[in-house]
Amino acid sequence: MANKRPFTDMLADSMPKLVLAPSFVIMMVCIYGYILWTAALSFTKSRMLPQWDFVGFDQYTKLMANDRWAVSSQNLIIFGGMFILICLVIGITMAILLDQKIRQEGFLRTIYLYPMAISFIVTGTAWKWLLNPSMGIQQIVRDWGYTDFTFDWLVNSEMVVFCLVIAAVWQSSGFVMALFLAGLRGVDQEMIKAAQLDGASLPTVYRRIILPSLKPVFFSAFVILSHIAIKSFDLVTALTGGGPGYSSDLPANFMYAHAFTRSQMGLGAASGMMMLGGVLAILIPYLYSELRGKKQ
Amino acid sequence: MAALTIENVKKSYGSTQVLKGINIDIEKGEFLVLIGPSGCGKSTMMNSIAGLETITEGRILIGGEDVTHANPKDRDIAMVFQSYALYPNMTVRQNISFGLEVRKMPKAEREIQVDKVAKLLQLELLLDRKPAQLSGGQRQRVAMGRAIAREPKIYLFDEPLSNLDAKLRVEMRAEIKKLHQRLGTTIVYVTHDQVEAMTLADRIAVMRDGTLQQLATPQEIYDRPVNVFVAGFMGSPPMNFITAKIESETLLSIETKGETYHLPITQGKALASYIGKEVTLGIRPEMITEPLAHKAALDYVKVLNLTPLLTEAMGADTMVLTQFGDMELKCRVNPSYLVEVNKPCEFMFDMSKAVFFDPETEELI
Amino acid sequence: MIYTQKTSPIQKLLRVALYAVLIFMAAIYLLPLVVMILNSLKDVEEIRSGNLLALPQDPSLAAWSKAWSSACTGSTCDGIAPFFFNSFKIVIPAVIISTLLGAMNGYVLAMWRFKGSELFFGLLLFGCFIPFQVVLIPMAMTLGWLGLASSASGLILVHVIYGMAFTTLFFRNYYVGLPRELISAAKIDGAGFFLIFWRIVLPLSPPIIVVTVIWQFTQVWNDFLFGVVFSGVDNLPVTVALNNLVNTSFGGKEYNVDMAAALLAALPTILVYVFAGKYFVRGLSAGAVKGA
Ligand SMILES: Nc1ncnc2c1ncn2[C@@H]1O[C@H](COP(=O)(O)OP(=O)(O)OP(=O)(O)O)[C@@H](O)[C@H]1O
Ligand SMILES: [Mg+2]
Repeated sequence: MANKRPFTDMLADSMPKLVLAPSFVIMMVCIYGYILWTAALSFTKSRMLPQWDFVGFDQYTKLMANDRWAVSSQNLIIFGGMFILICLVIGITMAILLDQKIRQEGFLRTIYLYPMAISFIVTGTAWKWLLNPSMGIQQIVRDWGYTDFTFDWLVNSEMVVFCLVIAAVWQSSGFVMALFLAGLRGVDQEMIKAAQLDGASLPTVYRRIILPSLKPVFFSAFVILSHIAIKSFDLVTALTGGGPGYSSDLPANFMYAHAFTRSQMGLGAASGMMMLGGVLAILIPYLYSELRGKKQ
Repeated sequence: MAALTIENVKKSYGSTQVLKGINIDIEKGEFLVLIGPSGCGKSTMMNSIAGLETITEGRILIGGEDVTHANPKDRDIAMVFQSYALYPNMTVRQNISFGLEVRKMPKAEREIQVDKVAKLLQLELLLDRKPAQLSGGQRQRVAMGRAIAREPKIYLFDEPLSNLDAKLRVEMRAEIKKLHQRLGTTIVYVTHDQVEAMTLADRIAVMRDGTLQQLATPQEIYDRPVNVFVAGFMGSPPMNFITAKIESETLLSIETKGETYHLPITQGKALASYIGKEVTLGIRPEMITEPLAHKAALDYVKVLNLTPLLTEAMGADTMVLTQFGDMELKCRVNPSYLVEVNKPCEFMFDMSKAVFFDPETEELI
Repeated sequence: MIYTQKTSPIQKLLRVALYAVLIFMAAIYLLPLVVMILNSLKDVEEIRSGNLLALPQDPSLAAWSKAWSSACTGSTCDGIAPFFFNSFKIVIPAVIISTLLGAMNGYVLAMWRFKGSELFFGLLLFGCFIPFQVVLIPMAMTLGWLGLASSASGLILVHVIYGMAFTTLFFRNYYVGLPRELISAAKIDGAGFFLIFWRIVLPLSPPIIVVTVIWQFTQVWNDFLFGVVFSGVDNLPVTVALNNLVNTSFGGKEYNVDMAAALLAALPTILVYVFAGKYFVRGLSAGAVKGA
């Protein structure tokens, strides 16, 4: 078949590809290329500078034996689990409460959502004072007369991880609320009216009709929150500095400390790869359903 | 020379074939209507003609020129979409002149052209509004205006009226017809609505599952549908189908519930090879009526007793659903013919326009 | 919204309880901000001896002015003002470039799909979620080779690269919601790739541009990780400076100055949020939610 086309036409036809090309190159290099690069480094004994002699899984073995890594991974599980759960519970509850034709809804929503605009550094700094036993909440309550009130989680290495949860929930739960509120507003009003005409009570309507239709929002919120949890590096830095000792470290802090301040590049790379593994475990099912949903 | 030639066009999305080899020739000034059930590939056909989709196989020629690989802008066509697809951020005037502007028509000429189109479609007072400020019918007219302004060789309409209410649809239908007569343009028009198809078309192309079933004038499609599908699809209420046995060149028999009925045949010659065999008889509701005195003597009519099950007064006629043995037949009678539900009464079968299909192939005999 | 008609006493009581809960929650969300504001207006002695929630007896902006212009942040003692401007120097170009890039990418991915474009989108979507720790070391080395280590341009580049995934996602999801027939109509009218973008798509984009700009602004302004890893002494962003300031302890802790500095560091994003927050929420419901 004759397929002679003027050059300008061919240029016009490949314009979409040309426009996408730089981003494609950037993505392939700076995301996937770098991941491979980090993976390669994690198999070397690089310290301050990269050294390309491969030592197999030595760094990973070292990592597994490292107590600080164990503490930080364990912290991530506790912190991440509680943070996600509490954010979801608060977010959904608040969204439903706000959805009851509240006067001043806009105003209240603004208040619930503003922490989302604030960095984890400022969040951590602010809560550091509030959770500080000698001047924060403990002291305030004691000043009110309850002199044996104790709330010293910040300096208690058993409990310090919960301080991270409190600050992070304060910062992110409003965002989850906004996601759900938007979702609630998107639910088909006729479906709700139909259910009410069928005699369903308000709680039933929420439980049986509205919440199930918000499944995609649950999913998005879960993924976003997991992402926030895994990269919570700045919160720890500002709120606890990883302390007491290293009892409130998260993997992100471990990675930064080893790769950039303690000249253990190989170990840092290995911990970075472990973090990626953790994200993949959550992300792959999500992407799978996302892409499958598109096909339909 | 044909204005538009569609030559063995095939289109697949991945492994699903949506168009399975379509051949159509459209004359200059012809109004062709594409009709078919949802998902049969009408929009795909239109998009392929427009160049919005690349076809997998075959050729498309416009005015004799092969445009199979040309961009939409080089095909000199215009398209009106079901959703109108007006540019929301532009005024009516800008919507109409956008295509001219892109084609580098000088401003002065553009204005003349917009005014001409606006006058033709009575859009003068709306020119400075945005699409959001227009009613459905007005948007529809703007969409047509946008197409007309460029004076293309071919117009493509993809269900342009299906978002309008019934009354407006009838009005716009008439306007489109007038426009076609006035401008003498070549139009390919997709619709779901058979009344639209019958009233507008010079020729109708009936599609099913990516294949062209029949391409003929509305009357021919109505009278001589090539197969059971076309017969059942065109016409509302649809044609009645009855299994019958050809007894001789002038007689057929219908056996149902242990009884045998006989009806006359007029197309005996064509049915010669089916004598003694079963066929599918197709008869339109308006051919089963109350007994008419002036026809009583004709040899192609026959009166039978049927039991009315349901009547639907439509004003000019009354539709009656009747029981005939174990079959249900739709009949169309004069409103003055009073029938009572469940009380058998006489109906006259006019067999002059009956059609016969091979029960195996479902093709017209 | 649920429609209820009659209001029995129980329902009235429930409504009162509802408002009580909502207001209580609002108080909790406001607590840290209030504490910071109150105490930034006190002097050090008052904070040490008094209650964090007590109103300042003698409100003064001394701590604010010190935080702004003369507090010590690690090695220098010029307040956080210089870092504040560093942040702006990084944020503005980074936001503009990544938004433009996202708009073009999203436009292609939504409206000019080609073989492989969905795969590209999938790969990029994944890029939204990688922990940055897995690219930090190679990026630091690359910036070194490019001679961009510790430079503002380097930091801008990093923010553009890793912000691109999100901006693309936002625009793509928004554009997918526009009717495809609009593009078909424009193609038939004879418009090409850029003309369609410029004349049809861009005029429909302000809602998603606002969302993306707010998102990127917040992300880049609030960033700490890239700032601490990639910036040099001369271009530390304000988050890093704040952290240094709070953790610098010459003599006694000046809580009032710390709080004022924290408020200053948070001010731009809070202002953006207060003035454009409703677009943000609107944008969230307009489509950024899907797939994000
Ligand atoms: N991009 C696509 N990818 C895969 N399949 C498609 C695509 N577009 C259309 N199809 C399929 O092709 C078939 C024909 O679609 P088309 O839109 O042409 O139907 P239609 O006849 O216009 O239907 P309707 O009357 O409902 O508008 C449908 O089965 C549809 O699912
Ligand atoms: Mg269609």
